[in-house]
Amino acid sequence: MRPEACAAAGEALPVETTVPTPDATVREGEMEGALHVVGELGYRGASVRAVLEYSGGHRKQFYDHFDSLEDCFQQAYATWIERLGVSLLEAAVSADGWRAGVRAGLIRLFQFASEQPAIARSLLIEAQVAGGAALSEHDEALERLAQALDSVRSEIAPGQEPPETTGIFVVGGIEACLCDVLAAGEVSRIWDALPELMHLAAGSYLGKEAAEAEFEAARELLAGDRAGLGGEGR
Amino acid sequence: MTELRLITSEPEDGPFSAGTPLPRRLPAGRHGIPANLVVEHQRRRLLAAMAEMLAEHGYANVTTTDVSEAASVSTSTFYKHFGNLWDCALAAYVSTADRLCEEIETACAARDPRSEPLTAGIEAALAFFSAEPDAAQLLSTQAPLEASAIAAARRILISRLAAMLRRGRDPEEAGPQPPGLDERLIDATLAFVGARVSAGEAETLVTLGPELAAILARPRQAA
Repeated sequence: MRPEACAAAGEALPVETTVPTPDATVREGEMEGALHVVGELGYRGASVRAVLEYSGGHRKQFYDHFDSLEDCFQQAYATWIERLGVSLLEAAVSADGWRAGVRAGLIRLFQFASEQPAIARSLLIEAQVAGGAALSEHDEALERLAQALDSVRSEIAPGQEPPETTGIFVVGGIEACLCDVLAAGEVSRIWDALPELMHLAAGSYLGKEAAEAEFEAARELLAGDRAGLGGEGR
Repeated sequence: MTELRLITSEPEDGPFSAGTPLPRRLPAGRHGIPANLVVEHQRRRLLAAMAEMLAEHGYANVTTTDVSEAASVSTSTFYKHFGNLWDCALAAYVSTADRLCEEIETACAARDPRSEPLTAGIEAALAFFSAEPDAAQLLSTQAPLEASAIAAARRILISRLAAMLRRGRDPEEAGPQPPGLDERLIDATLAFVGARVSAGEAETLVTLGPELAAILARPRQAA
């Protein structure tokens, strides 16, 4: 049914345009499978067969959707890194103020990594292995997050601003810390780094007092409800 | 498996001492060079070639053939030195990390006594990365799953550089701080360097000493 016809008849517009087709669902599953398999086996060890074992699709269908495994990985990467970035920014803007927003963004990031460590590994580590388009998407995503962190500059007195490259420095430090625990296969340890990373972020922009306050606030948060945040038992 | 350590095993002096440009290959035929030096020369060429080929092809595509050809050795010679590609990559990582640390320590020891060791160390590190972008990329890029020992070597490097950072601060300004913070600053510094190199701006690193010093100092300064 055409949308105009629905409107003319006074009916509610059907929602079918937002429901993925079966083919789109399969394609989405293949992309998730590619990220999962690359995270589990490494970029060099991944194969279409392993992706299909994960996603449950058929080889012909896979090649109808993608030119190659590399093509699938790159498309999946672009989709998921965008989603992750939006998710982190949504968590940040829904918090009360910049500092709480940084903390909320970190918690959302750690929850994602704890729930889907293979995909997190794919997005953060294996993109650096793959290089090419995925690495460009990765670098652009980090740049966007750095720009979001830079929003606090409007609250800093003129002449007291941190160096221009502070944003990419902080984002890179957060990512490297997460990569470290993902590489070691100990993603639950990332929660232990929350106070240190809040110290890094707040201190790099706002100085010592903010760094120490955010370090303590993050420690208290973890002491109070670590399990509720998703920091245990995963 | 290559021994994992961050102290140099290379001769301080001699024809292949650190800082001496490596000839691409030794003269063919009878050259009178002792066999152990030939082997050492091959190994050092392979390590340099590994960093060069990783920068050119990335972890996804680098092969033992690429590395062997770039080092002007046969693949059978490659396998006399290393069990596989990742053993070579690990050895290259450790060797490069050692050289970085030595550059920093030397610069700190030789600095003007009126200048701060932290400043001297930062400038030495940035000069090293600026002059050797392949090395910067090797040390800053995350390693693949197959080369998990490189991730362990990276953690050792981070700890070592964090200890240098602590020693380099003015003792009067240092004060107590929770453990782990300096490791995060070093993590961020390596990522910062990697981003610059990845963007093709390695040569600008040498100009960023004051900016990096300011970033590293800010979390310890009153607003």
